[in-house]
Amino acid sequence: MVNLLRFFLRYYLLFLFVALQGFCFFLIYSKNKYNQAAYINVANGVSGRFYSTVSGVSEYLHLRGVNDSLALENAHLRAQLLDSRFDNKTDSLFARDSATRFVQVYSYIPARVIRNSVNQATNIIYLEKGKLQGINKQMGVIAPNGIVGQVINVTDNYAAVMSVLSKDFKVSAKFKKNEFFGNLHWDGINSTSATLEEIPKHVPAKVGDTIVTSGFSQLFPRNVMIGVVEKVNAAPEKTFLDITVHLSTGFGNLSYVYVVNNLRREELHLLDTSTVVK
Amino acid sequence: MISQLPINLFRFFLLLMAQVLIFSNIHFSTYGVNPYVFPLFILLLPFETPRWMLMLIGMGAGLALDVFLGSMGMHAAACLLIGYLRPFLINVITPKGSEFEISPNVHAQGVAWFIIYLGISMFAYLTFYLFIESATFYNFFIQLLRIVSSTIVSVGLMLIFLFLFSSRKKRRFA
Repeated sequence: MVNLLRFFLRYYLLFLFVALQGFCFFLIYSKNKYNQAAYINVANGVSGRFYSTVSGVSEYLHLRGVNDSLALENAHLRAQLLDSRFDNKTDSLFARDSATRFVQVYSYIPARVIRNSVNQATNIIYLEKGKLQGINKQMGVIAPNGIVGQVINVTDNYAAVMSVLSKDFKVSAKFKKNEFFGNLHWDGINSTSATLEEIPKHVPAKVGDTIVTSGFSQLFPRNVMIGVVEKVNAAPEKTFLDITVHLSTGFGNLSYVYVVNNLRREELHLLDTSTVVK
Repeated sequence: MISQLPINLFRFFLLLMAQVLIFSNIHFSTYGVNPYVFPLFILLLPFETPRWMLMLIGMGAGLALDVFLGSMGMHAAACLLIGYLRPFLINVITPKGSEFEISPNVHAQGVAWFIIYLGISMFAYLTFYLFIESATFYNFFIQLLRIVSSTIVSVGLMLIFLFLFSSRKKRRFA
């Protein structure tokens, strides 16, 4: 401490000089517009380079947040699609206004995949959202380029999804070009293909035809991509075609999915049960 | 020391007015000469002024000039610099056993001593000031030309001032 004091006393002139110069430069840069601008220019040049480096690094750290927001935005955009809405056009000839003409039927909740498998007999995917975020049992799940599966169990913050790659999963599918529909289920062989059944033999099925959801189930809206026809086999002893569909969803690298919320599910369910009872 | 106060105050106001009213209005635009005679006030303070006081007086005088020239802090910084450097400079350029008056005097120290003294001081002053003013090293050589030409003109004007106002009286030996 004494040495420190001695040091300051010995060099007090220098310190005084530096302090006074500091004051002068404070005046210069606070009172003179040109110097201010010149200083800001240089400072911006330096800090700009610094920040661009920092942001280059931190972009990676923020990728998850960016992905989250993009997924949310995609969910909103997807909800704007015509297939997510009921078109009133046939009901009222005069409803021209799109606000009254279209009724929202499906909304979408983005969710992150936290566990995934493709090599079991029943492949279950876990999502990072659950009951509290609005996910319920029996909701459909789609990925950006195809269907994923169906929610079979939810807790408060997590959801279990039975993926298309499960022996019990079935979904109503149709040819996009001519609306013939059948049931799609996984053949259990590999994670890239499934079988489309109950397509009559007169249907002109060709390799490369697009298969989409029919919208008959409550799980998915119409026209969500499922895959393309990979192989058509018309066995003489069968009444239906054997169609192998190449699934468009890459189940091996799912990271973000959208949970489909059918806003009319309760109503349809009510209709379903009352009709069956009768 | 106290007796030096009136003459220095007088010199301060005289140089300030000369600087503000005359020399800061002169623009030899081809070489960008801007002569500064005001620092002579700091350079002519008594030899025995304490160094901390030199610095404070220098900065205060510089601020006074800044107020008139609208360059807040720039001349203060430059004047502070020569206030700080002055004792070192005098030590370096003065031969041992020279005659000293209370203040630097052109008749006591001689013209050669003064040219070196003023030249180095003004070079430092103008270098510091002009680079702060332009706030860049762009056009470095044009800037250097300005510094050198301004230094020469400033020193010339200062010498004229010294010969006009220096007294031959009051010799003493240090």
